[in-house]
Amino acid sequence: MNKLSDVLRFEIFRSLKKKSFWFTALSIPILIVIIISISIVSSNHANKNSQQQAQSITKTSKIAILDDTGLINTKLLAKLNIMIEPSQQAGINAVETKKIDAFFFYPKNVTKTGIDVYSQDKGITLSSPYSTEAIALLKSDVIAKAGAATRSTQVVQLLEADPAINTTTYQNGKEVNSDANLIAPGLFMLGFLALIILTSYLMITSTTEEKENRVAEILLTSVKSRSLIIGKILSIFALGTIQVIVIIVPVVIAVIVFKSRISLPGGVSLSHIPINAAAVTFGALFLVGGLVLFTGALVGLSALFPSAQEAGRYLGIAMIWAYVPLYTLGYVVSSPHAMIVSIFTYFPLTAPTTALLRNAVGALSISEALASVAIVYVSATLAILFAIRAFRYGAMEYGRRISIKEIFH
Amino acid sequence: MPESEIKTSITPAVDVQSFSMRFSNKEVIKDLSFSIKPGEVFGLLGANGAGKTTTIRALLALLEPSGGTLLVNGKRYNPDLAATVGYLPEERGLYRNEQVLKTMMYFAVLHGLSASEAETRALAYLKRVGLLEKVNERLVNLSGGQQQKIQLGVTILHEPSLMILDEPTEALDPVNRSLLMDIINERRVKGATVMLVTHRMEEVEQLCDRILLLKDGKAAEYGTIDEVKDRSGTQVIAVNFTGKLSANDKLFKINKRLPHYAEISWQPDITTDAILRYLAGDNGLHLTTFEVRRPTLNDIFLKLYKDQGVNNE
Repeated sequence: MNKLSDVLRFEIFRSLKKKSFWFTALSIPILIVIIISISIVSSNHANKNSQQQAQSITKTSKIAILDDTGLINTKLLAKLNIMIEPSQQAGINAVETKKIDAFFFYPKNVTKTGIDVYSQDKGITLSSPYSTEAIALLKSDVIAKAGAATRSTQVVQLLEADPAINTTTYQNGKEVNSDANLIAPGLFMLGFLALIILTSYLMITSTTEEKENRVAEILLTSVKSRSLIIGKILSIFALGTIQVIVIIVPVVIAVIVFKSRISLPGGVSLSHIPINAAAVTFGALFLVGGLVLFTGALVGLSALFPSAQEAGRYLGIAMIWAYVPLYTLGYVVSSPHAMIVSIFTYFPLTAPTTALLRNAVGALSISEALASVAIVYVSATLAILFAIRAFRYGAMEYGRRISIKEIFH
Repeated sequence: MPESEIKTSITPAVDVQSFSMRFSNKEVIKDLSFSIKPGEVFGLLGANGAGKTTTIRALLALLEPSGGTLLVNGKRYNPDLAATVGYLPEERGLYRNEQVLKTMMYFAVLHGLSASEAETRALAYLKRVGLLEKVNERLVNLSGGQQQKIQLGVTILHEPSLMILDEPTEALDPVNRSLLMDIINERRVKGATVMLVTHRMEEVEQLCDRILLLKDGKAAEYGTIDEVKDRSGTQVIAVNFTGKLSANDKLFKINKRLPHYAEISWQPDITTDAILRYLAGDNGLHLTTFEVRRPTLNDIFLKLYKDQGVNNE
């Protein structure tokens, strides 16, 4: 028992004296605070921004409505520059022919069937304000009527919950499913995040294994460090791809076998997934560039540590930056040009995920995409050069952690 | 063409000139120069921290020298020359979770062999060292001695013309040490050059043609073993005895005394015959051997570092 307490005391105090213990212990809560703060600010801003956009959209867009509920005060619509269409079909035709930007149809039984919103396709970021505005128009009058004590069952239901929104979007006069536009570029974002998760262990162990096994010197005298590191990075990609294929193949088989019974959300047909060439190209560029960047950085950093165990403590924190941008999703959708989104789009470690996210929701312009691609690829090149140098000078330092300064002496 | 001219036209297997190495503010190697002729077995000696491993790492371009030139077969080393060099580092190991044959083949291919040639040679080597049945075994499942044999195989499988062996017998059991000595001899007979870093002076005396003794990052001794011994000057008398060996300050001084062995130095005006007569006439002492010999490398090594210790005090 005495020995047990001796061991316990020794182990605890040994860890408490290590900088790495405190670095890890303090980094996680600090990072959580940062993430939660970003998330809260992002969420608040997204809500506020959505409302602001909805309020201003009547000033910038041509909107028409048809109200079969009788709840909307049509006299007030003129003040808001909102027109009234004689029929649902006339409203739809007006959107199809681009005479107006959006048409809201309020059927008689709106609480059950919901509001039909027909609008030009302007991407996810600008589609949601139309829905917000459609609800706001109805509810402002519902609230007024409720104040006037004209309470019907429908009014009470509307006061309790927002009605459903049935959106139909048009592009060049043809009906399109804007949610479906997410699928192709969105797959690159999912692929990137999946590959980062699947290959993280390989990234960390690829260089520490040589140090732990004391084979670095023999390797470095028989292979150039550049060939060695590039070979390792490519092998990580290959292994990650194999892992993804292993995961995907059963899904593909299931899709082929049960094709008739599978439908994607929003009623998108598998054979009719829209392919936007620019979005897919940038998705592929960010996927590859992001992977090279993270792999290079993590392979290089892990070469500074004597073992995978010690490297893992620090590098987990570095890898979190691939996921932090997901907490700005609200910002990305509602306000893609907000400062936090811009910073994340151009900061190397957050750029791949942020740009892939914005690319997926159609909120990344060509010029922004090109600038971010340039930053990611320059950073990825620097990360590989760093990895080569770190392995070259750090691999022989068996049993001790070396500083970045030492490899650039 | 005169023989001297032929010799000078031969490119040294290793040529180090004015090599210096500095880590932070500490200069660990100072203006070091030496060369190793093709086919020579060369010993690089020195105490721990003398700069032996640093010199080898700089020679193999694993470290950038602060100054000077280090050439292998007339060129600055780079991995493209891997086929000509077999390096057994001081800090050594292999991929523990990989199979024996695959590991040997991987490193042989990296050293320029084709996969089929690598496999043929690896199997022949494994047969020679009695590990043929372990070809598909993972290295982690092998004993320490067996792993050492594999390590040695990785160093020589591609039949390099220059072998650089850093503390090769360190932690080797007698069987593997004997195997290594045999292999070094075989390679030497076939004309390979061997650069041997070791603490074991008896191995150096047995194997090396020339040596370099490093002290404080500088060459303290350099030349053939005979030259080094000649330069060290004084001879010693080594005696094996039973009984009691008493000192006689007028005739000699006992430098080293063990229960039945002693090393004696004597005054310049005294002959060894006089000492032998004196010892033989001592009734309390029975001499079994009396040998006048030059100092061993071990003596020279110890003297050099003992002097350093005195100087440091």
